[in-house]
This record gives sequence, C-alpha cells and structure tokens, in this order.
Amino acid sequence: MAMKANYLFRETGSNLRRNITLTLASIVTVAVSLALFGIALLLRQGVDNATQRWEGGIEFVVFMNADASAAQLQAVADALDASPEVAKITFFDQDKAFEEFKDLFEGTPELIETVQPSDLPTSFRVVPSDTDPDAVEQLASRFETSPGVREVVSAQETIRNIESLTNIASFIVLLGSVFLLAAAAALIFNTIRMAMFARRREIEVMKLVGATNWFIRLPFMVEGMIQGLLGAGVAVGAVFGANWALDRYLSDRNSLQLLESFVVATEDVWRTSFLLLVIGVIVGTLGSAIAVSRFLDV
Amino acid sequence: MIKLENVTKAYKGEVLALHEASCEINKGEFVFLVGPSGSGKSTFIRLLNKEEQPDKGRIFVAGKDIGTLSSWKVPYLRRNIGCIFQDFKLLPNKTVGQNVAFALEVIGRPNHVVRNQVPAILELVGLSKKMNNLPHELSGGEQQRVSIARAFVNRPLILLADEPTGNLDPATSVGIMRLLDRINRTGTTVVMATHDRGIVDTMRRRVVELDRGTIVRDQARGVYE
Repeated sequence: MAMKANYLFRETGSNLRRNITLTLASIVTVAVSLALFGIALLLRQGVDNATQRWEGGIEFVVFMNADASAAQLQAVADALDASPEVAKITFFDQDKAFEEFKDLFEGTPELIETVQPSDLPTSFRVVPSDTDPDAVEQLASRFETSPGVREVVSAQETIRNIESLTNIASFIVLLGSVFLLAAAAALIFNTIRMAMFARRREIEVMKLVGATNWFIRLPFMVEGMIQGLLGAGVAVGAVFGANWALDRYLSDRNSLQLLESFVVATEDVWRTSFLLLVIGVIVGTLGSAIAVSRFLDV
Repeated sequence: MIKLENVTKAYKGEVLALHEASCEINKGEFVFLVGPSGSGKSTFIRLLNKEEQPDKGRIFVAGKDIGTLSSWKVPYLRRNIGCIFQDFKLLPNKTVGQNVAFALEVIGRPNHVVRNQVPAILELVGLSKKMNNLPHELSGGEQQRVSIARAFVNRPLILLADEPTGNLDPATSVGIMRLLDRINRTGTTVVMATHDRGIVDTMRRRVVELDRGTIVRDQARGVYE
C-alpha cells in the first residue's frame, strides 16, 4: 500500500487537535492508570529486594527468663550446640542486651533512662544453617518449651506479614489500575469514534473513490496509538519521579539501614518503564482498532 | 461491461427493491434507469458499486463476478467506477482543487500525477478559474461539475450517476448532460438513474425502466414513457 507519510501525519495530527479535550482525557487516564500500575510493580520489587536481604541475615532469638538459672541457660546452650541445623550461636548477656537497646532507641534517651540492664532478658542469637523459612520455624519452635525460655522470636513472621500486606496492597493497586486501563481503552475508543464521526464525509468519499481499508483506518489507529504512548510517557515520568523521591527520602535517613534495601535498581525502573510504554501502545491501538472495526465497515 | 443475472435484493421487512433483474450493458453504452421513487434504481446502482450485496443472483462488472470478490479487493473495483450523486458529496472545507486531488491522493497516486491531472480535469469540466474556491461559493451546477471531475479524474471504465440533475434547474441540467455525454464518448460506460423526463426524451439513449423492483422495459434509443 502506497501511503504517503506526510498524509498520515497530517491526518493524524489534525484528528488529535480536533478532539483536544477528549484526547487529553484519554491521555490523562492512560497516564494515571499506568503510573499506578508501574508504582505498584516497583513497590513490589522493593519489598522483594528488602525481604530477600532480611531473609539472607535470617536468625531467631531465644529469649530467656530474666530469672533463669545458670543450669537452664547451660541446658539450652548445649541443646543448641548439639543441633546440626544450627550454624552459629551468640549469647547476649544483660550488658550486651542493654548496649543493643541503647542503639535501637538512640532517638529517645528518656526511654533508655528508665531501663536498667537487669530489666532485660538474656538471649541466644541463633543463625541456622538452612535458611528455608519453614525449616527455621521448625527449628525455633523446638526451643519454645525448654525450661527457662520466655519466648522464641523469629523475623520470619514479621517478614511474612510485611510480604502479605504489600502483596494485598499491590494487588489492590494493580486491580485498580487494570480497571483504569479498561476505562482508558474505552475513552480512546470513544475519541476515535468521535474523530471518525467528524470525518464521516471524508471517509464516505474515500470509500467511494476506492481508498483501501487500511488507508482509511491507519490514521485513526495511529491516533489511538499516540494517545496510549503519550499517556504511557507521562506515566514513565511519574514512575521515575516516584523512584527518585523514594531514593532521596531513604538516603536522608541513613540511620534506617533496614529500609535501604528497599531501593529499586535502575534497570528495574527501566524495565518497568518499557513495560508501561508497551502496555500504553497496546491499549491505545486496541481501543482504536475496536472503534475502527466497529464503525468503518466497508 | 456490466451484467446482472436474476438479481434479487430485499431490505429488511420491506418490499423487494429488485426482483429477478437481468440486464446486460456493453462497454461505452449510455443507459438511463427510469421509474418512480422506490422502484429500485438506487439499489441497482449501489449493487454495481458493491455498496449493497444481492440476496440472489450474480453481478459481473468488467468481466468479474463481484459477488465472489473478497472485501479487500472492493476498493480496487471502485477505482474503476466513478460515482456522482444528487447531493454532490463534496467536502465543504476543501477547495475545488483539493476535492478533486483528494480522490487521487487517497488511492495513493504520486504527487506529480495529482499536480498534472487536477488542472486538466477541471479544464475539461470548465472550472479552471474556480480551482481555489470552496464548494459553497459555487452554484449547484458548478458543484456537480466538481463532483463529476472527482469521479472522472481517475479515468474509470464506468460512471454511475444517481439522479445527478435532481437538484438542478433544467438549463443547468442540460450543461451537466452535455458533460456526461462527452465523458461517454471517450468510451466510458455511463449508467444514470433519473426522474428527468425532458433529459431522457432529448438524449434518446437506451432506457431501462424499473417498477417495484422489476425491469418492465429495456429499450434502445428510448423515451421516458
């Protein structure tokens, strides 16, 4: 098909200008939905990165009663030593526990003042050789009932809670963005329908003199594609902006080392951006293709 | 050039638009389709252009059975068929020259062809001076000349005219008919649906009369009634 490029650009350009309000509405809807989609994806990625890091340093803590006898302490230490699944044990006496407490609550000296080393429980920090979450949990639970043990705490549950919470949150956001994407496709569909209605005389004449179907369709499809692409472009900007803001927020608070693992790699951002552009183009082309095939039968 | 074999066409719930119509039109003929409103003249024309599909029967245009034509080939069929209408169907926001050029551009003709052909065809229809006017600045007769120029600029084998003088006064109609006659004499087959008794009676060409979808008369050098 011999279609002149300048004809295509002229027609598409004038279509985009003619329905400027609807065009903008489509672009904004695509942008908002894709931005949500992209941010949800990155959030998920961040949580994945963070939990992976935490899981790497996995350990559980066996807290002893403050009044546990030396024999009870020795019994637990021996039992831990004897377990083949245990890679490393560190014993935190009350002074060490107090040091850690002071580190953790550095920001609130009034809290530190109210606490004496003798108020704090002694504990064993256990690094298991097998970091599989289920294995760790099973190992940890074996010590819960030993005499003198107050409780066994593993980070596992906390991590799982965070994970399931972010999973739910990102699922809701993703679901919302899918609905918004559908709305965007519908808006583009309508914009293209309006554009075709505005040009119905031209289309009639084109059919009459024997313009091919693709010649008639292409400017409208390109119009939809451009709307999707522009919306996706705005969304990519928003995603980069959000990532940059998060980066700065985290590096400003360098005391929170835990959160640093939250940072998403630049290549992940690029990959997400590419995905958004592809989705934008697909949504735009799809919306206009449906409109064109519905209202342009020859 | 054109052949209808037992063509029947009915619209939804309506009476028959065409019933078992058979008719053959040779290359270079000039044929009037006459008959009252609703007798099937427009359907006849729209079937030739494949704007409508027949319910029964076969239609041949330029030797091809257009019933078996796949939809992507229909545009190429239409490039061989020029069409003019009672309401001209000109694009109001394009000049006379642009209206004619549009017909060439959208079928992918190169720029130099468009630049050569448009002034030449406007010369033929006698509108060289109005090339840069908008359609609403022209009289009805002039507008119809533009639409003829647009239909003929691609040198089609067949020219279909659906009541081309329906909106024009008798004097102007004579001018349009002279133009169609000239086009016919270049070898183009012309099929024209009309109510205009005066034109049919003066031209004395082949007349096909339709009545409620049936061909009731087919007469060489005929008159309106």
